[in-house]
Amino acid sequence: MVVHGNFTLTPPAAATEIYVATPQSLHSVLDKIYLGCGYASGACIASILIIIIVQIVLRYTGMNVGGLPTYAAYMMAASTFLGLPYALIKGSHIRIETVSKLMGRSRRYLDLIAFFLGTAVTIWFAYYVCDMVFTTWKLNDISTDLDATPLWIPQLTMAIGTVLLAVAMADNFLTLLLTGKYRIQSNALAL
Amino acid sequence: MDPIITVSVLLGLMFLLLIMGVWIAPTLIAVAAVAIDIFAGRPAGISIATIAWSASSSWMLTALPMFIWMGDILFQSKLSEDLFKGLSPLMRRLPGGLLHTNVVGCTLVAAVCGSSVATLSTVGKMTIPELRKRHYPEHLIVSSLAGPATLGLMIPPSIIKIIYGALTNESIAAINIAGIIPGVILAILFSAYVAIVSINLKSYQPDHEPNIPWREKLLGAARLFPVIGLILVVIGSMMFGFATATEASGVGVVGAMLLAFSQGAMTRNLFVKSLLSATRTSVMICMILIAAGSLSLAMGYLRLPELLVHWVDALHLSAFWLLMGFLVLYTILGHFLDGISCIALTIGIVEPMVRHAGIDMIWFGIFMVLVVEMAQITPPVGFNLTVLQSMTGHDMFKVGYWSMPMHAVMLLMVFVLIMFPELATWLPKQMIPVHGAI
Repeated sequence: MVVHGNFTLTPPAAATEIYVATPQSLHSVLDKIYLGCGYASGACIASILIIIIVQIVLRYTGMNVGGLPTYAAYMMAASTFLGLPYALIKGSHIRIETVSKLMGRSRRYLDLIAFFLGTAVTIWFAYYVCDMVFTTWKLNDISTDLDATPLWIPQLTMAIGTVLLAVAMADNFLTLLLTGKYRIQSNALAL
Repeated sequence: MDPIITVSVLLGLMFLLLIMGVWIAPTLIAVAAVAIDIFAGRPAGISIATIAWSASSSWMLTALPMFIWMGDILFQSKLSEDLFKGLSPLMRRLPGGLLHTNVVGCTLVAAVCGSSVATLSTVGKMTIPELRKRHYPEHLIVSSLAGPATLGLMIPPSIIKIIYGALTNESIAAINIAGIIPGVILAILFSAYVAIVSINLKSYQPDHEPNIPWREKLLGAARLFPVIGLILVVIGSMMFGFATATEASGVGVVGAMLLAFSQGAMTRNLFVKSLLSATRTSVMICMILIAAGSLSLAMGYLRLPELLVHWVDALHLSAFWLLMGFLVLYTILGHFLDGISCIALTIGIVEPMVRHAGIDMIWFGIFMVLVVEMAQITPPVGFNLTVLQSMTGHDMFKVGYWSMPMHAVMLLMVFVLIMFPELATWLPKQMIPVHGAI
């Protein structure tokens, strides 16, 4: 069995092979989802650029397409939420690592607590975001701007993004708990 | 409940979570949730979810990913090479010599790039090896980069000012324009410091640079034209009413792409790489912005801003001492947090106090940016220090120690800004309003 990534095994019996191989293939599926989120988020940013350019051209030619800035605003939200899990796994979200670095060998335990708390907060957050989007859909809220979009459609990106962030957080916490390995790439400085 | 107990519990929770290493955004959301749910007795989940949507779906905010993307494209283009080759013939005879390529390079890059870390890495990747080759003192190489790189926050476009504008509902274009004069003065002060030190320092003995004819100097300087053109287009269009901040940011991205294209650097790989890198940064900042929005909402429910305003009133503080208080507060916070998190954490309670004291919000934006600029170079958490550490191989505290004179220069600038507030408020008043824009 070819093993790469987090699980290294001596040749296992057939039964355990299926059992143990599961988390690993799960990781590779999740990795694809996170990367897909990143590309989706990037595509939203690229589409914002196109909207801005079109908006400039329209303004200077005196034409007026109402609602165009509102679509850019939806894209902005979509980019933020869909990109959350990708940015997490790439280590872009900021946290203070000074104390945990000072702890040396017991660093893992502090990180476990931090990751657990992070997971709890994001699950809570995702639950209420989904709740809100569901309410918007049930009440059929319509955008008050010129675009008159049913708001649940753009808000769906917020639900998807926050749920996947909670998944990524849980993935990160459980991986550290069960295997002692970090899922998140070392803090690549972004700012 | 006694507000002092409420505040101590919330602050305690916040610092506990932060110190344990929970991410900044979830920490702020957790504190906001506890404040709203337990202390204000309202449903926290739905309030925070609503804020998250309204804070992130904003047309004004689209300038944020655009300016980040613009900087990322330029970082991966050949801009740093052009800058060094264009600037070094002009600087070599000055006292301080090529160290000025750091200061002037940072100033120019800051005018096309919204963050100090991006400014630092764009300039430093070329100048650090070149200056070392010429035997400039190491501590001057480091400090002449660390200080001026923070101009990335001060000189427009600036990401941190977009955050400030979005959180305080002030004009993003006006706050950006307001930073031009203070930014240029700061750059001159940095240069003056480098010149004075190099004259008085015995260990300052770099290789002698041969003089070169004017014709070659001008030819070298021609390499700077594309970037200067880009600066004029982006800042000029905001200044003279051709574009809003958002529109200027879109033009900036296209301009950066054209610049990379003209160098033959614009490949599919550069496009994808810069876009994904901008995505990560933008997502991270927006999430902090959302969390800051939740926290401000929670503070409002608890009526903390009002209480603080009354409390400050009772102290009979003059505006000057209030500002000194903020200076101390942000200096302490700056040791542990980056600039954007500092602003996100505090703006909900600081804004009402500042407005109540009758301080101009645009001016205060510049003051705040200047103060958190210093936070970028204070250990143990200062983004510029972390980047310099990995670029030069020196320990962060050593880099921080070497940067202390630059810290002092910025502190001097704080007092200059307080004495002459017009430095920040005059230019925005000269702006021509954009016709028919949203």
